[in-house]
Amino acid sequence: MSPQLIANIVVLAAIYALVSAGYVLVYRVSHVLNLAHGELMMIGAYILVATAGLFSGNPILALLLAAVSGLVMGLVVYAVLMRWLTGEAVLAAVLVTIALGILLRGLSILIWTTQQFYPAAIFGWRNPPVHILPGVQISVASLAIVALTIIVYAALFLFLQFTAWGVRMRAAGQNPLLAEQRGIRLHAVYALAWGLSTFTASLAGMLLSLDSGVESTMATIGLKAFPAALVGGLDSLFGALVGALIVAAAEIAAIQFVNPLLSDVVPFLVLLLVLAVRPWGLFGSREQLDRV
Amino acid sequence: MTNVPQAAPLLAIDDLRVAYHRVAVALHGVTLRVMPQTIVALVGNNGAGKTTALRAISGFIGVDDARVIGGSIRFAGRRIENEPPHANTARGIVLVPERDKVFPNLTVAENLTVAATRRASSAERRRLDELVFALFPALAPLRARLAGLLSGGERQMLAFGSAIVCKPELLLVDELSLGLAPVVVDDLARRVRAIRRELGITVLLVEQNVGVALAIADYGYVIESGHVVLEGPAGELRGRPEIQQFYLGLATGNQVRRYRALRERPANGPGDRRQ
Amino acid sequence: MKDAGSSDLALFGTPARRIRLAVALVALLLLPFVASPFLLDLANQVLLAVIGALALMLLTGFAGLISLGTAGLLGAGAYTVGVLVREAAAAFWVTLPAAALLGAILGLVFGLPSLRLRGLYLAISTLGLHFVVVYLGGEYEAREALSTGVMIDPPSIGRFSLTSDIGWYFVLLAFAALALLISVNLKRSRTGRAWRALRERDVVAEALGIDVHRFKLLAFVVSATMTSVAGALFAYYRNFVSIDAFSLYLTVQYVAMIIIGGMGSIPGALLGAAFVMLFPYAIEAAAGFLPSRFGNVVFALDYAAFGVVMILFLLLEPAGLMGIWHRIRAAFAARRATSAPKSAPGSASGSAPGSAP
Ligand SMILES: Nc1ncnc2c1ncn2[C@@H]1O[C@H](COP(=O)(O)OP(=O)(O)OP(=O)(O)O)[C@@H](O)[C@H]1O
Ligand SMILES: [Mg+2]
Repeated sequence: MSPQLIANIVVLAAIYALVSAGYVLVYRVSHVLNLAHGELMMIGAYILVATAGLFSGNPILALLLAAVSGLVMGLVVYAVLMRWLTGEAVLAAVLVTIALGILLRGLSILIWTTQQFYPAAIFGWRNPPVHILPGVQISVASLAIVALTIIVYAALFLFLQFTAWGVRMRAAGQNPLLAEQRGIRLHAVYALAWGLSTFTASLAGMLLSLDSGVESTMATIGLKAFPAALVGGLDSLFGALVGALIVAAAEIAAIQFVNPLLSDVVPFLVLLLVLAVRPWGLFGSREQLDRV
Repeated sequence: MTNVPQAAPLLAIDDLRVAYHRVAVALHGVTLRVMPQTIVALVGNNGAGKTTALRAISGFIGVDDARVIGGSIRFAGRRIENEPPHANTARGIVLVPERDKVFPNLTVAENLTVAATRRASSAERRRLDELVFALFPALAPLRARLAGLLSGGERQMLAFGSAIVCKPELLLVDELSLGLAPVVVDDLARRVRAIRRELGITVLLVEQNVGVALAIADYGYVIESGHVVLEGPAGELRGRPEIQQFYLGLATGNQVRRYRALRERPANGPGDRRQ
Repeated sequence: MKDAGSSDLALFGTPARRIRLAVALVALLLLPFVASPFLLDLANQVLLAVIGALALMLLTGFAGLISLGTAGLLGAGAYTVGVLVREAAAAFWVTLPAAALLGAILGLVFGLPSLRLRGLYLAISTLGLHFVVVYLGGEYEAREALSTGVMIDPPSIGRFSLTSDIGWYFVLLAFAALALLISVNLKRSRTGRAWRALRERDVVAEALGIDVHRFKLLAFVVSATMTSVAGALFAYYRNFVSIDAFSLYLTVQYVAMIIIGGMGSIPGALLGAAFVMLFPYAIEAAAGFLPSRFGNVVFALDYAAFGVVMILFLLLEPAGLMGIWHRIRAAFAARRATSAPKSAPGSASGSAPGSAP
């Protein structure tokens, strides 16, 4: 395998990892599989298009505004939709996310049409390839994605491991009833999980759109990142990271050596393989299975 | 009311009725009082409704599909039926549950951190943690251990500890002795008394082991099939022949298995009373 | 014999219900002769959808297993027909059983994870199924250089071939009726009760002595077989197969059918199928009144409106259209019950005071 191929794998893995962090967060805390995650990521990218249009002279402000909107988006989704399903069967909650996904898809086309947008062009940024090693080049935006993924994962790890609210999120995921009995407001914890989830998804969407633009098909990336989350085990962030690497490697290898058409199906083939051998994922906990 | 209360009760439950899934009524009108700084025991057989009563006080969540359908629960004069558990914990009602009493995938220290204590500065949090380790010194060396790996006794101590970090005024304890060796139970019982004495915390204790319960409680209620069938000061209850016969295992024969059956037979005849 | 008679009775219920059923049946049989070609095509689409909706209802509504594989299974059935017709000029009495068989095999293979996994993981493995089918279909189209999909001749016996929409109507009606019969019987049987127990909770079902694995797999196989056959019929009806027709949105539509119709209800599946198939036309009609800017993206409007309707049902009326129907009936019954004692003496005297003319 050439170094360039490895670099491509790392970039793709970073994208998948950044996106799948949101799946893991929401799942781990509230046991809801958010099938609208890809669409929420796409909306995050479109919001950047909007803020870039408003503040084309001030990219930092536009980026900050879009990032904050990403956080607010999750809080709103929780408060308006998911909140009413707390304590209901998980089935209903998952179905609602499917409905939300289709709604967001429709809305985004109504608002932004099917045309492709380039927020980077609005800022007047170019996205030149850089040589990180002799013979290995990746775009600046891709580098930023890798860096951001590392930062986001480190921050999430520290947050979940060492802050009281992080510990509470983990606790609520394990035993919501006991969490409530220890004074934790489940609604607050769930809303926070949704907020962080769409925040990281928006960051991914924003950077992807800076790299290669955004159009109505971006949501598919969210769907493809999903196997990465599951391969690692839905309740483990570290697992999501490793899962993303495995899926990205398989996908790039398949595109390179077998057939480019395989791109969409490979993540799911990897997933099916893992499900057959280790249904709880590579790093997930076995008892987690019972809750799904 | 035969015993005139000297002070206002901390917890006053009147004619409490609770149903699961809207139809299965588990409590049929329970009335009880818990005076400040006392230890009250609620005893009864399996399925009598003890856990249900404590859960009703501490609050149900959606998945329980349970509701208070009648009567009232007053805590410090305020009505709290059907409030969510976190709100009651914030009021100072904290439960040590029967099962799933700790977070198994969190460490001992994290199990204490989790509690969202009302109005507590970080200094006070530290003081509360220290208090827990002072009350239960056995936990101190286990701080970094996953709670799922603790022994039954250690787990119960941790459950008490994490409840105490919530700064309870009223501590609800579901099955202090379940699955624990007699020595451990004695030790825990002493600590419950210490918690009441030194921290001024009121305790409502549910037990199947009537001997243990009446040994540490000031006042006791006996509950059967969702009804309170007997109540009185603990010492007095201990001396009652029915209690000795049915709950303390001193029965000579076993023609009558339930206290209510004994009590009702002369009054109601063989026909069962319909609820 | 006696048994069959009593289950017949159970199926059709009271005499009043039997009469209503007979009226509905006559209406269904007469419909194609009065409907316009457009309406007839719509009716045929609804009948096709009914089969898939019933299949999904069995799986999700009865057994509580989420599947996102409907579009994939429809595609698998359609492609079985497409490939067999193109490669071997196979007749429908080969292709339809082949589609059923493939459906059963796919149901078995993708249902296997459900033995070790629960609910949501299954949704994902079926999503995998979807992408596998789409890939294989796309690959086939690309290799054969078929830019517009596979053309399929109408099914024929001897010199007679099924081309008229009226003919199709009766064929599809028969298949939908068969699917309905299978569903009703399964629901009433031991299998149906086992599924209900499964849906409530695996552990409980196991404790009741239900062979959880067998019944889960059965749900999967039956559902997948029905769906695959529906896909095959779809291919014949449309005269062609293209992989573009089997998008995830199609799956969402089928999920919407069972949500909107009413989870766990067989009439709900029928209502839901009709609702979802008619919905786009309603949106199109409504779009005529909107600024032209939206006119170009009716499909997007469709998506958005669809999402909203699904969410509203899930949040406000989880029992779906059937729930609304029961509520209306209960309200009427209550009205009748309260008005009956008052109106009784009135009707005896001929004219009640205060009664509306
Ligand atoms: N989630 C539930 N759904 C339906 N019924 C329930 C539920 N939980 C408890 N019950 C019923 O309510 C009644 C009281 O149960 P509860 O758990 O309160 O008894 P208990 O006195 O705590 O018994 P034990 O000593 O065995 O813990 C029982 O008949 C039980 O079957
Ligand atoms: Mg109990």
